Amino acid sequence: MAKPRVAFHDFTSCEGCQLQVLNCEDEILGILAAVDIVNFREAIDEKSEDYDIAFIEGAITRDSDIPRLQEIRQRAKILVALGACACTGGLNVLKNFRGIEASMKTVYGEAAGWYETSAARPIDAVVKDDAKVHGCPIPTEEFLELVKSVLAGRTPQIPDYPVCVECKLRENVCLYHKGQYCMGVVARAGCKAWCPSYGGRCYACRGLISDPNNKAAKEILDEKGLTIQNVLDEFRLFNGVYDVAKE
Amino acid sequence: MLPKVLSKDRFADFVARLLGGGRVFAPVAKGPQFAFAEIAGPDEVSRIRMDYDISILPPKKLFMPQRETLLTFKDKGPEGVRAEVKSQPTAILGVHPYDLHAIATLDAAFSKGARDAYYLAKRGATTLIGLNVKAPANENQFAADMNAIDPPAGGYDLFLTDLGDRYYVEISTGAGEALADDDMFTPAGAGDHKGKRAYDAAKAAHFTRKLPYDTRYLPELLDVSYDSLIWEAAARRCFSCGTCTNVCPTCYCFDVLDKLSMDAHSGTRERIWDSCQLEGFAVVAGGENFREERPSRLRHRMFRKGKYIFERTGRTGCVGCGRCITHCVAKISILEAFQQIADQVGA
Repeated sequence: MAKPRVAFHDFTSCEGCQLQVLNCEDEILGILAAVDIVNFREAIDEKSEDYDIAFIEGAITRDSDIPRLQEIRQRAKILVALGACACTGGLNVLKNFRGIEASMKTVYGEAAGWYETSAARPIDAVVKDDAKVHGCPIPTEEFLELVKSVLAGRTPQIPDYPVCVECKLRENVCLYHKGQYCMGVVARAGCKAWCPSYGGRCYACRGLISDPNNKAAKEILDEKGLTIQNVLDEFRLFNGVYDVAKE
Repeated sequence: MLPKVLSKDRFADFVARLLGGGRVFAPVAKGPQFAFAEIAGPDEVSRIRMDYDISILPPKKLFMPQRETLLTFKDKGPEGVRAEVKSQPTAILGVHPYDLHAIATLDAAFSKGARDAYYLAKRGATTLIGLNVKAPANENQFAADMNAIDPPAGGYDLFLTDLGDRYYVEISTGAGEALADDDMFTPAGAGDHKGKRAYDAAKAAHFTRKLPYDTRYLPELLDVSYDSLIWEAAARRCFSCGTCTNVCPTCYCFDVLDKLSMDAHSGTRERIWDSCQLEGFAVVAGGENFREERPSRLRHRMFRKGKYIFERTGRTGCVGCGRCITHCVAKISILEAFQQIADQVGA
């Protein structure tokens, strides 16, 4: 059987998730033995439009992105959204709340009119994706889990429970016990609780679990003294695409 | 075996003696809280906090690690499968009575039916040095109600009680006897016995009972409360985050996952802690989830703690350590639930 041909494409993003792919240093040779990478501008010069699996990093923030994405969807047998920007729109969705014109002015000043833009959207708002690798950036383990699962023809094991699970498994002191707060109670695990383990707090960069108790999250954030605006900002940072961030 | 006395001047020697026999785990500070951690050598004795109130995770993590490789496999067929039952001599120093009770419950659960080789190998290689505790760590503890403020008979090798300048050392096993066979231990005298009695009397006074009924009625009270609205009320704030079960010293549910190597035909089979509170816990083949709703999951945990584990193992499923209450971000309380069900009869 011929090796599957893999392409990486990016839309609006920092390309940090593709860098994470290159960070899979111990496994890179294994990946290259199993697949042919035919399109990956962060790592190789060659470009081919003939591929089986497409990884898409980035959010859709211009109408002109849409036909490009649709063409990739048509070519690829399997399309994977890579990272927060592709999965939920990520930080890019913040501009939808600020007002697009105001954002353009902040970024481009007088030249704002030169550039095309639209509301930021995740990949699956435009085309169907077959899988998502969440996170800002993606955890390398989850990328590898997905690649191995595709090669073995099985469903990848992607957590659908709160970050609290992994945080407790590491025996971290809960941020709520330190007088701080955290989005881990509704955020999708899979990062091994990176941020709370190294002095940060969870921003829910991996999106929300499929059955988050958003009402209770708003209640406990309120009890921590956050204003309604603060609470909405917490949800909007990475998860503006969900209804809970809208009212 | 008669009790002995260990002078605190010799505590470092005692730890060194434990280190001579293998790995040593003891409570150490973790930020404002405590955790059982490995004491790598005699120079780390000062890290040990025998005055700790309670650890974040219970000692179960040392018999049933959060992640554990069960076997490795390669190619198809049984020839490529190798079980990875591993253990090394380990002493756990400073285990409070409620946690000793919990370990006894785990021992019973993992020995029943198909014996769990992974747990029992680690447990068998472990020396338990218990530590008496005079007062509850916080208002969430109700160990007296669960009959868990004194150590279980035979549930430790040595059991220490802090008498100020010395430890009163009770000995329960041959391993404990061998460990205490050294001149750092001296026979306990009348003053030592009296000191221990005074300690336990003070302890009984500090650990007040918080349930309005004797716990022998707990399973039946839960039975009649099965359809109570209290489960729904508590679950309103529940995040289904599994913290309560992860910090519980008697929760032992796990998931088993096959991790593939890049060649896609070799890999490892791993088990990780699972939780009945997670939405996917009770999903079966075909996609049916028989505990899909949060209240039914929350009730299931309370029933496991107050009824099912007892019925299954003959040992308590809850030792009243209060960890699940302390660490719940939503402040859901099993103690409150156990108090509320007293009024459910005929309601």
